[in-house]
Amino acid sequence: MTSPARTSVVTAPVQTTEPAVAPGLAAITIESLGKRYGTGPLVLDDINLSIEAGQFVCLLGASGCGKSTLLNIIAGLEKPTEGAVTVASGKAAVMFQDAALFPWLTAGRNVELALKLRGVPRKQRAAAALELLDLVNLADAADKRPHELSGGMRQRVALARSLAQDRKVLLMDEPFAALDAITRDLLHEELERVWRQTGRTIVFVTHNVREAARLGERILLMSSRPGRIVNEWTITDTGSRRIESPEVARLGDEITGQLREEIRRNAA
Amino acid sequence: MPLDARIDTVRAAPHTSDPGHDEFRRLEAGLDSLQAVPETPRGAFRRTVDGVLPPILLLVALVAAWQVYILIAKPRPDLIPGPFDVFGALASAWSSERLQLAVLTSLERGGLGFLIAVAIGTPIGLLLAECRPVRRTVGPLLSGLQVLPSVAWVPAAIIWFGLTDATVYFVILMGAVPSIANGLVSGVDQIPPQLRRVGTVLGASRFEMATLVVLPAALPGYFSGLKQGWAFAWRSLMAAEIITTGGTIGFGLGTMLNQSRELADLAGVLATILVILFVGILVELVFFAPIERRLLRRRGLMAAGLR
Repeated sequence: MTSPARTSVVTAPVQTTEPAVAPGLAAITIESLGKRYGTGPLVLDDINLSIEAGQFVCLLGASGCGKSTLLNIIAGLEKPTEGAVTVASGKAAVMFQDAALFPWLTAGRNVELALKLRGVPRKQRAAAALELLDLVNLADAADKRPHELSGGMRQRVALARSLAQDRKVLLMDEPFAALDAITRDLLHEELERVWRQTGRTIVFVTHNVREAARLGERILLMSSRPGRIVNEWTITDTGSRRIESPEVARLGDEITGQLREEIRRNAA
Repeated sequence: MPLDARIDTVRAAPHTSDPGHDEFRRLEAGLDSLQAVPETPRGAFRRTVDGVLPPILLLVALVAAWQVYILIAKPRPDLIPGPFDVFGALASAWSSERLQLAVLTSLERGGLGFLIAVAIGTPIGLLLAECRPVRRTVGPLLSGLQVLPSVAWVPAAIIWFGLTDATVYFVILMGAVPSIANGLVSGVDQIPPQLRRVGTVLGASRFEMATLVVLPAALPGYFSGLKQGWAFAWRSLMAAEIITTGGTIGFGLGTMLNQSRELADLAGVLATILVILFVGILVELVFFAPIERRLLRRRGLMAAGLR
């Protein structure tokens, strides 16, 4: 599927473990990963994780548990202190909580810039950007500037921009946290559809239990200080879930119970 | 399909056939139109009237108050001339063509000095913003220079360059360059870190990051640095022209001001001050304000009342 030359490995100065991955299956492999800032406390401790290609993984945890740090390490924005992260398809696309569109460019040009940095020839960019915007139902807003768009529309432009990077892995750091409930609900549906349509591997960081239960095929719960993966759930039937579905509520309750347990341990 | 096959995001069949998806699209479009920020554009005429009328009314009121004071208090005309005396001085300077010459000379020097200052200040600012050791070393010096009144350089410049245009340009540069460089530095500093991260994530090289992300993002700060740079250039120019007269230095507004003082012609002095003020306002209104308004409006950085 991918040539070995495109494989990028983010390693700590001293790599201790040999990569032992089932080839072709794992999109992201994380081995005994640890992270600390300077001489501070351990932020992430001994994270071992293998994420299948095409999987929708939600990374769930309380504020400050290091889930964003983990995402940044996968994205290559930060370096791990120990261990290694392998993204089989090379680099990953990233979407943040803040849409972070370039305010001096229109929605269409924002997407075009991503295409340009990817090396798409100038002639094809405008049409490609328009198709990507249409994928998130925003073809009509291509000429609008970011400040003229609502928060939800900006996030959709940001989604179109990350899709423009054409990378097999999409990392999302609480992308819908700042949106109102109605918009967020719609964007869940949008993202799910885009995921099915494009076959991306998605790692979605959130502190919203219901959101994780609504979106994830696989949910990873992280503890805080140091961040470890303490439990995980796999959802087999992801067909017709809605935020108000009873199975989402049931799973949410179960996860919330564990999450609270984890948080309580920090009280002492 | 007209597209490069590499764009596999759109390779999946489009959504026209699915009624559920059509419904979703209509739902989303409805929410978008509910949340869209309504624009209330005002006509160009209305905008001009709103922008120009209040300051003109103020001007008229000030002149009227001045004239009323002259009529009631009857001060000595050589100490406090009336508006008509000042206007007369202006008219006689115009008819002897001294006024035109002075304005043109000063504007030419100010403009050229400003452009040189931009050419010098911009690379210095970029170097300062992007290179930490340079910033730590030169930064405090540059901030200090910004505070130092550039008139202080006039005596030194006269000794170095004599009574030539070089003296005038030197003083302008010492006034304007620090402002322009510092403006660019603060423009770069104010770039939201998220934008750089996005640049990194999108795979921008160092050069692409500088040209496609950092410079456009820093433009508003840089522009206000340019505005301040112009103000400093114009002030420094006037100071230099007032102090340095004679030699090969031509006849500028500062020279005209100083001549009127030597003749104890207060009406002439006030008239020249008004011209200097007026040129400053004109450059701001005609040159800087439209560019700035465009720049800020395109980024949604303009308060609603100022649109």
